[in-house]
Amino acid sequence: MKILVAFKRVPDPNDDAPVGGGALVSTAKSVINPFDQIAIEEALRIRERGEATEIVGATVGAPSVDEQARAALAMGVDRAIRIDDSRALDPYAVARILRALIAKEAPDVVIMGKQAVDDDSNQVGQMLAGLLAWPQATFVSKIEFLNDRKRVRCTRETDAGLEVVETTLPCIITTDLRLNEPRYVSLPGLIRARRKPIEILTCDQLGMTVRPLTTVLSTARPPKRAAGTRLQSVEELIVKLKQEAKVL
Amino acid sequence: MNSATREVFGNIAPWMQVAFFILMAASLGWLLWQVAARALLWRKGLAGGFERDWRVWIERVVTYALAQKRVHRKSLGAFLHLLLFSGFVVLTIGTTLLMIAHDGPVDFHHGWYYLIYELTMDVFGVAFIVGCVLAMYRRAFRRKPSLGHNSSDWWLLGLLLSLGLTGFVLEALRMHYTHVQPPVAQWSIVGWLIDATLLRRLDVGYAQTMHLVMWWLHAALVAVFFATIPVNRFLHVITGPLNIAGRPERPMGALVPLRLDEVEQTGRIGVSEIDHFSRQQLLSLDACMECGRCEDACPATATGKPLSPKKVVTDLRGLMAHGGELHGQTIRAETLWACTMCQACVQECPVLIGHVDLISDMRRHLVGEGKLSGPPARALQQVGNQSNPYGRPNSQRLDWAEGLNVPMVESNPDFEYLLWVGCAASFDPRAQKVARATAQLLKDAGVSFAVLGPEECCTGDPARRIGDEFLFQQLAQTNIETLARRGVKKIVTPCPHCYNTFKNEYPQRGGKYHVQHHSTMLAELVGARRLNDGNGGDHGDPITLHDPCYLARVNGEVDATRAVLGADRNSQFREMPRCGKKTFCCGAGGGRMWFEELPEQRVSRLRAQESVATGARTLATACPFCLNMMSDGMAGTPGGENVKVLDIAELLLSRQTLSTPVVPNGGEAPHQYTS
Amino acid sequence: MAKTLVLIEHDRQEVKRPSLHAITLARQFDGEYGLLVLGHRLDEIVKSLVCFGASVTMVADDPALAEPLADRYATVIADAARKFGATILLATSSTFSKDILPRAAALLDAPMVTDVLAIERKDDSIVYRRPVSAGSMVTTVTVDSDRCVLTARATAFEPPEANAAACPIERFAVAASSLPNGMQFISREERASERPDLTEARVVVSGGRPLKNKETFDRLVGGLADVLGGAVGATRAAVDAGMVPNDYQIGQTGKIVAPQLYIGIGISGAIQHLAGIKDSRIIVAINKDPDAPIFKMATYGLVGDLHQIVPQLIETLHKS
Repeated sequence: MKILVAFKRVPDPNDDAPVGGGALVSTAKSVINPFDQIAIEEALRIRERGEATEIVGATVGAPSVDEQARAALAMGVDRAIRIDDSRALDPYAVARILRALIAKEAPDVVIMGKQAVDDDSNQVGQMLAGLLAWPQATFVSKIEFLNDRKRVRCTRETDAGLEVVETTLPCIITTDLRLNEPRYVSLPGLIRARRKPIEILTCDQLGMTVRPLTTVLSTARPPKRAAGTRLQSVEELIVKLKQEAKVL
Repeated sequence: MNSATREVFGNIAPWMQVAFFILMAASLGWLLWQVAARALLWRKGLAGGFERDWRVWIERVVTYALAQKRVHRKSLGAFLHLLLFSGFVVLTIGTTLLMIAHDGPVDFHHGWYYLIYELTMDVFGVAFIVGCVLAMYRRAFRRKPSLGHNSSDWWLLGLLLSLGLTGFVLEALRMHYTHVQPPVAQWSIVGWLIDATLLRRLDVGYAQTMHLVMWWLHAALVAVFFATIPVNRFLHVITGPLNIAGRPERPMGALVPLRLDEVEQTGRIGVSEIDHFSRQQLLSLDACMECGRCEDACPATATGKPLSPKKVVTDLRGLMAHGGELHGQTIRAETLWACTMCQACVQECPVLIGHVDLISDMRRHLVGEGKLSGPPARALQQVGNQSNPYGRPNSQRLDWAEGLNVPMVESNPDFEYLLWVGCAASFDPRAQKVARATAQLLKDAGVSFAVLGPEECCTGDPARRIGDEFLFQQLAQTNIETLARRGVKKIVTPCPHCYNTFKNEYPQRGGKYHVQHHSTMLAELVGARRLNDGNGGDHGDPITLHDPCYLARVNGEVDATRAVLGADRNSQFREMPRCGKKTFCCGAGGGRMWFEELPEQRVSRLRAQESVATGARTLATACPFCLNMMSDGMAGTPGGENVKVLDIAELLLSRQTLSTPVVPNGGEAPHQYTS
Repeated sequence: MAKTLVLIEHDRQEVKRPSLHAITLARQFDGEYGLLVLGHRLDEIVKSLVCFGASVTMVADDPALAEPLADRYATVIADAARKFGATILLATSSTFSKDILPRAAALLDAPMVTDVLAIERKDDSIVYRRPVSAGSMVTTVTVDSDRCVLTARATAFEPPEANAAACPIERFAVAASSLPNGMQFISREERASERPDLTEARVVVSGGRPLKNKETFDRLVGGLADVLGGAVGATRAAVDAGMVPNDYQIGQTGKIVAPQLYIGIGISGAIQHLAGIKDSRIIVAINKDPDAPIFKMATYGLVGDLHQIVPQLIETLHKS
């Protein structure tokens, strides 16, 4: 079974968020989107179980994104593909690009994080599924292949609780936080990664052009809440909630 | 008296003597053959790793093998071992001397020498037998679980006891049929007593025959004893001294560095097969006689985790001898992750086995192969990306100092001491108070110091302990460059892990500094009256001290913390049962600060119970991780809710406001301090 | 002129009230708007759906739609949108709408903007404000397309005012046999609860890891919620520790809440959790660590041992 994992380069969520324009401040440290790391980890575990034979990592972006492609290879992905595009894209553009790539690579399953922690849109996986007319399982916290890998059973995390669905293959799966905990990558992984290829493709080579339809005009910090007061006792709290806040 | 002596081989015909020597040669040969076979197993390991300096060998063998430094303590086991050891050594020397006297150029085995010899041998023979009996008693009725029991144990004890007993029976029989009389007889006191009582009416001819039989029995037992040494605990008599001599000399707090080029070549890191250990490490596995003291001291074992240092050694030994798979089968990952690297096992081991190094080597493999995930993986990722395990932007490293006006290296380049705050005291809200207290005290005392602020990066201790050696080396490189750029020569730090890393591990990378833990500097300042000690004497509530592992055990520093607390003048100061260099871990070491732990398995809870049992209302400590862990531990322990957990700097700072101010810069104090 | 189609969510028994908040946004666009409901045996639901000035309520009622499988729902929704002539397809953010609407957007060849907080008119076009980076920042985006798909954050819009005027119901026929069937619903684990829904409640009481176990969590957090008639939420750490199920999780990757009163017990205030509560009107924090980040955001802070404070709070509130 061939798995394609799509991942995105995002600013390290631990760092102070960069402010200004829509584009990334390039000096900020970048990482693979944590949800995509979970996707890669799951693909690796599926292969370790003997259920997959090849894992391909795919991303869209400028040459700086090769850093994340190498990180994905260091985790254990077999090959990495970067579709070279330095523009600020929107999820629909990314989905269309990935659709063209998938037509070329023909994986049996596509796994990716449910959302990118910088953009928080949560769209690409679902849009891709719609474009391909493939079944989808989103916000997945457990993956199990059935029937000799012709079907997959997924547990999904929804507002109401957990839901279990089954889909045929090929399908799109987007990962939620509790699916797994990604492995730590250190020197041996990085050494092995050096021997693995990063293939660079362009949209032309994939036979398509896309134009982002959404544009970010500006980014700003929301107004901060004013600092509140420290109280000394339960009685004082109840009094304040009743009389000052009028919420009780 | 000068003619007092005895015949050697008196009853033994020449052809029997030849047979005897052949038997001895065969059994010794068989012993050597088996030892050589073990040595071939050790040889499968990586070359080197042995101590090369013969002077160190001698010193170590004398201290640990002869003087038995690590064995002595107040216990039945230590006592009986002393009897067995001294008995066996003296009897062996005695037999050797007898052989030299008999076969050598000069026969000195007569006269006063002979009489004293006989008495000495008898006394130590009794000691040996008493030791055997005590060992049997202990094994039958008072055996601690960590001692374990192998099928060969009764066999060995029985054999040793028989050797002792037959030896005396032989002596008595010989004295009987050779008519040894007092006063000479009384020097062989035990033999004489047996002869005078049990053998009194024995026919002399009959005695001689029995002597021959008993002699051959004794000889056979000796032969069997030699031949079976390698398959029972007694092997440690050979392998123990070998490891004691051969163990490489390295500070306890320093792990073995790895070389990048080696890893690039072999493509592997750490130990994944038994033969990736060094030959010395493999030898050390055979030195273990399973006494179980390491297990007794281990905080992981004490909290029910799947780690026993003894089992790690014996499991690896089994793997070495019988083959198999190392990771997953012989040693599980949970076993390796459970270690806090407190070094209690290493400290206890009478034959100097390095359990922590074994575990560290195996951890490095797991981390290198991507087998680390979850909170510790996140912590290491954050160490790599944000230069601290908390994942906070390094630009916030001075937030703890808000409002304190702490001098920074940038604006105070002529500082004398660098106050290295460490990640915990920089970012952990609880530990930030330690940073503040320390900085305040240094300012009050007029010490010339400065902090690096955002230039400070994690020393790399968590990376090295958890198992990413190269992340550690990267951070060390960065820090060493920063320290060089800022002209740092002296460092003082409130964190024992940073202290240990600077003192014992950075020199491996070329960074050499004069490093002090803040307890040392604070004790000096109090001693020089540059800081108030709170007028010594009672301070009211009972107080006890938790010695941090990496300060007390690993670096042997126990006095400064007590001096800061004024322990010797405070009648309310109590020591915990496990204190000083034999302190008990808080559970945070070995990177475990970043691992998740089931509440019922928390090492900190166990230690908190120990503290609560002293009746102390304040628990002092000297490490930001201990502070964190013990605060948590107290919260989860009955009786602990009312115990205050404080760093010695916080306690000392609170005493600064109690009495008259001191003269900064070490000037003469203008007036006496009243209590 | 915009033509907005608003997708309404229900739980097979009744309409989920936060999904109505999207109507408030729909009203802000010039032009008519319709409602869309999918499912099976929808009569009661449709009846309860008092029209909020919608020009039509489209109903797709078919056994094939009994469960919200994304492939089927997206196909039907796209068809309905095309039939309606929608220029905007809109729903309140939820796992339901996030699962299905992007797929529908692709079927409609339209871009999508998630979690809209507000819209503004700039020159001739509309710009959308939405949160990014766990809500630590807000971006303003434009869409260059004649149709787009939106989800709206429920807490950013008031519930729409109802009016009694009935609106036409249009039964939308579904060609069940031509629907995709690569997906199959297997099971759902839902707990019936007497407490209000987390995203709808006026009061939310939530707890963190210091509550240590399920029993203490239920007793203290649940107890306080019950005496206040509120919903129960939790941090990710509490969910991971098994104290509560995942649907209690509030935060960047869980639910976003904005109640009148939020009480955080034993919550230090990791930014991911704060992202889920920052629009609450009153935030109360109870934590024994005076330096916990949540105190910077709390309207009222109480430093102390939650094991003593919360029972006292519950008891005092009971009496009054």
